[in-house]
Amino acid sequence: MAEVVKPRIWRNRALYLGLAFLLVFERLLPLGELSGRLPGPDLILVLTYALALRRPDAVPTLLVAGVFLMTDVLFMRPLGLWTACVLLGLEFLRAREPISRDQPFLGEWTMVAGTILAVTVLNTGILSIFAVIRPTLGQILIQMIVTALVYPAIVVFCSGVLGIMKVSPGAVDPLGNRL
Amino acid sequence: MARDRGTSDDYVRPIRRLFVGGIVVLMFALFLLWRIDSPRAERFRAMLIDRFVPSMDWALVPVSKFASMIEGFESYSRIYEQNQELRRELRQMRAWREAALQLEQENAKLLDLNKVRLDPALTFVTGVVLADSGSPFRQSVLLNVGARDGIRDGWATTDGLGLVGRISGVGQTTSRVILLTDPGSRIPVTIQPSGQRGVLAGDNAPIPPIEFIEDLERVRPGDRVVSSGDGGVFPAGLLVGQVVAGTDDRFRVRLSADYERLEFLRVLRSAPAERIELPGGLIGPGGAVIPDEMASGAVGDG
Repeated sequence: MAEVVKPRIWRNRALYLGLAFLLVFERLLPLGELSGRLPGPDLILVLTYALALRRPDAVPTLLVAGVFLMTDVLFMRPLGLWTACVLLGLEFLRAREPISRDQPFLGEWTMVAGTILAVTVLNTGILSIFAVIRPTLGQILIQMIVTALVYPAIVVFCSGVLGIMKVSPGAVDPLGNRL
Repeated sequence: MARDRGTSDDYVRPIRRLFVGGIVVLMFALFLLWRIDSPRAERFRAMLIDRFVPSMDWALVPVSKFASMIEGFESYSRIYEQNQELRRELRQMRAWREAALQLEQENAKLLDLNKVRLDPALTFVTGVVLADSGSPFRQSVLLNVGARDGIRDGWATTDGLGLVGRISGVGQTTSRVILLTDPGSRIPVTIQPSGQRGVLAGDNAPIPPIEFIEDLERVRPGDRVVSSGDGGVFPAGLLVGQVVAGTDDRFRVRLSADYERLEFLRVLRSAPAERIELPGGLIGPGGAVIPDEMASGAVGDG
């Protein structure tokens, strides 16, 4: 008997949007300066990619584009570039979601870390080509590593708090269609 | 059981790919637009932030107040020592105040005797910090005063003691202050007492370096750094901080403004400095001063 999973698409989308807003809100709080400290992980990015490998329909392209464009505007980043890079990474992961269902976690983690690396390199490369002021390579590298390291914690958060787990191989929705 | 991929999405997939590609191209186009016409894009950004952030105010203010209350509560534990320390400092300050008052009177008297004309005092608008930049790589804060309150791009911002930054991006009710530590911030400064000029260049570190110092020998750690007013953007003589020797053999500035506690900021209204355009007139035979253009015009006529 195959496992029955309720899709609950809209609940998941609302959850994603709500969490993204919460994270943006937290970053905007004026609690002292951030300079000099180690740059923290990009939690919105990790959340997006974790959901892409669990419920791809919770992170539709248009929604993700909207969320990241909003962060581009609010966080004084060049408009649109980071969004475009993140979307490319998202599509890469989305295409590999069926394969990752029967992959061990370590493989999934490696894949996500690779995607984050590629997205960061692409973004930094384009910024350098267009001669935009960008943070030093060391800072970018630290943020990238921290972001990749925080991925398991977000996965635990997804399954433990949000109740969003990976689709097991052969799971079906209540109507009996394969997911 | 293996999942057969793509039986049902055969007709959806090319359309999807087109759709996603379209969005990505659109975003790249937006980036190019930003790069080509930056001022317009930044105005658009200021407008969006102006629309969006003040509506979050009701939540931002209580949460940040609560956090600072907790911070304050933690310091209760050593309230006794703090009190003693403050008393001691207060006593020292009283002595200094007396000295300062006497010096001020003497200074005023001397200035009056010499008929020295000083800059008129700057007036200011005070704003409350609404939000941070949100990015670890950009250092800026958002104030709750904007074009409605007469704020203009380029005005200096202080926290009452030291320079904090420069207004860059004004919305109707909000404006953004680029802090001195932001990688995009460049401020001309003078180092006292040697009078060396330099440029304070932010680099994301809490103590920004000074670049383009002419004579490094004459600068010592502990020297005062004030804004120089070069370039006519900033009023001169605003306190910035003290010189310290950085670990990388560069002179850096420990900022006087308390960057840990940016809550209320003063935006200094500065009129653009008057420029002296003409190179100076000729002194004619009659003793009258003839400006250049008139002099050349007369030659042409004759």
